[in-house]
Amino acid sequence: MTTNSKKAITISPDSQITKKDFYSCFFRSLTLDSSWNYERMQNLAYAYMMAPIIRRLYTDEKDRAEALQRHLEFMSVTPHICTLLVGISGAMEEENARNDEFDAASINAVKSSLMGPMAGVGDSFFWGTLKVIAAGVAISLSNQGNIMGPIVFLLIINVPHFVLRYICLDKGFQLGAKFFNDLGNSGIISKITTAASILGLMVIGGMAASNIYFELPIQIGSGDFAEPLQGYIDQIMPAFFPAMFFLIMYWLLGKKVKTTTILIGLIAVCILLAAMGVV
Amino acid sequence: MQITQTFLIILIAFFAYMHSYVGSTMHNRPIVVAPLVGLVLGDLETGIKLGATLELVFMGAFPIGASNPPDFVAGSIIASAYVITTGQDFTNAVLLAVPIATLVLLIDNVQMTVLLTWASHIADKFALKGDIKGVERTQIIAGIGNKIILACVVGLGFYLGVPFIEKILAYIPDYVSHGLDVAAGIIPAIGFAMLARMMVTKKMVPFLLLGFLLAAYMEITVVGIALMGVVVVLIYLNFTNESKEVVEDDNEF
Repeated sequence: MTTNSKKAITISPDSQITKKDFYSCFFRSLTLDSSWNYERMQNLAYAYMMAPIIRRLYTDEKDRAEALQRHLEFMSVTPHICTLLVGISGAMEEENARNDEFDAASINAVKSSLMGPMAGVGDSFFWGTLKVIAAGVAISLSNQGNIMGPIVFLLIINVPHFVLRYICLDKGFQLGAKFFNDLGNSGIISKITTAASILGLMVIGGMAASNIYFELPIQIGSGDFAEPLQGYIDQIMPAFFPAMFFLIMYWLLGKKVKTTTILIGLIAVCILLAAMGVV
Repeated sequence: MQITQTFLIILIAFFAYMHSYVGSTMHNRPIVVAPLVGLVLGDLETGIKLGATLELVFMGAFPIGASNPPDFVAGSIIASAYVITTGQDFTNAVLLAVPIATLVLLIDNVQMTVLLTWASHIADKFALKGDIKGVERTQIIAGIGNKIILACVVGLGFYLGVPFIEKILAYIPDYVSHGLDVAAGIIPAIGFAMLARMMVTKKMVPFLLLGFLLAAYMEITVVGIALMGVVVVLIYLNFTNESKEVVEDDNEF
C-alpha cells in the first residue's frame, strides 16, 4: 500500500490490474446471463468476464489454461451484483499469480461459498423487491396510457442496478481474499436479506390485494330484493377472494406443483365453472 | 407491409432478448416491449396499456437459479401485435400471450440444454490450450447467437401465426372466453405466490399480511406500502440490533 507504482493507471498501487482491465470486466459482466445453460449455467460468461484479468496476470500458457478452466466451472449468481465475485476472484487470482504458496483451489471455494448467499440476497432484491416496486409504479402509469410507465420502470431498476454493479466490482477488488471473513462476521448478509424480505413481502401483500380480481356473481334473495353475495363478503373482509387464491397458489407451489400445471389447471377449472354458469 | 412489420418485430424481439447481454436491465419485460410493438404498429397508447396488462400476467415470470420462466418476450410481442393490428379486446392479449410464452419456452429449453451447453464444451477445449481469445469468441457468438435464433422464431410466429390464431379464436364459444377472463384475473396470484415462496419464513409472514391488509382495508397504493415498508424495516432492524447487543455483551463478560 505504501509503495508507489510506476504506472498510475492500476486499480491500486500494488496491483498489476489496470483501470482498463477494471472497466473491461465491468462491461463484460453485463453479459453474465446471455449464454445460460442447464449444465453449468453462467460459466461461459464468467470466464469471459475474467479473461482480461487472466491475460494481464499470466503469461505462461499453462497458467492461463488453469485459470480459464477454473472460471469455466459452475456459476449461478444474480447477474446485477456478480461484479462482487469478479472483484474478489480477480484479487485472489492476483494473489495466486504473485504468491507460489497460494492455493489456487481456494479461489473456486470462495466463489462457490459466496454465490449462494449472494444469489439469495440479489435475487430477492432485484427480482423480488426492486422489480415488484418498479412494476407497481409503472403499471399504474401505463394503465392510463402514460409513456412514463416503461421509462420509470427502467429507471427504478437500472439506476440502483448500475450503481451497485460498479460499487460491487470496486469493493470486490479492494476486499479480495479477506472479504469473506469480514462479511461473515459483521452479519451484513443476514441484515440485507432481512430488510429485502420485509420490504418485498409487504409490497407483494399489497399488490396481491389490489391486483388479483375475482367477483362472485351469485345473488341472494329473489326478484327485486336480490343482492349480490359479494357485497356481504366485502363488508366482512375486502379482498377475501384474492387472499384465498393467493393461499391456494402458495400451498400448491409448496406441494411442488409446476407453475405450468397450475396455470393450465386454473384455466380449465375457470372454463368449466363458466360453462356451468357459476362464475 | 407485412414484410416490413415482420422485420421490425424481429428487431424488437432481438432488442428485448439482448437484455441479458447488456446487463439484465429487464427491458425485456412486457411493460417495455408492448409499447415498442405499439410504436412500430402505429398505436403507442394501446401498446403502453397492453404493457401494463401483460406485465401483471407475467408478474412472477423471472429467472431464479435453475428455473426458467415462460418466454414472456415472445408471448408479449406476438399477442400485442395481434391485439393492436386487429383491434381485439385486451383479454385476448392475455389469452394469447400465455400459451405462446409456454410454447416458446420449449425452444428456449432446447437452446439451453443442447446449444449453449455445447458452446460451453467448446470453450472447455479452448481453455485446455490456454486460448483466451477462443473462449471470448465462444461467449460472444453463443451469447448473441441464441438471441438471433429466438428473434427469428418470434418473427416467424408473427408472420404465420396471427391470421392462423385468428381463425381458431373465431371458433371459441362464449363460456370459454368468459372462463379465461375469470382466470386472467386470478393468474397474477401465481406470480405473487412464487415471489412470496422465495422470501417467506415463519418470522416474515406478518409482513406479508401487513402489506395485504393495508391494501385491502385502507386501499393504500403500492408505493405507499413500499414507503411504509422502509419504516418497518428500520424499526425492525433497530429492535433486533438492541436485543443482539445485549446478547453479545452477555457472552463477552
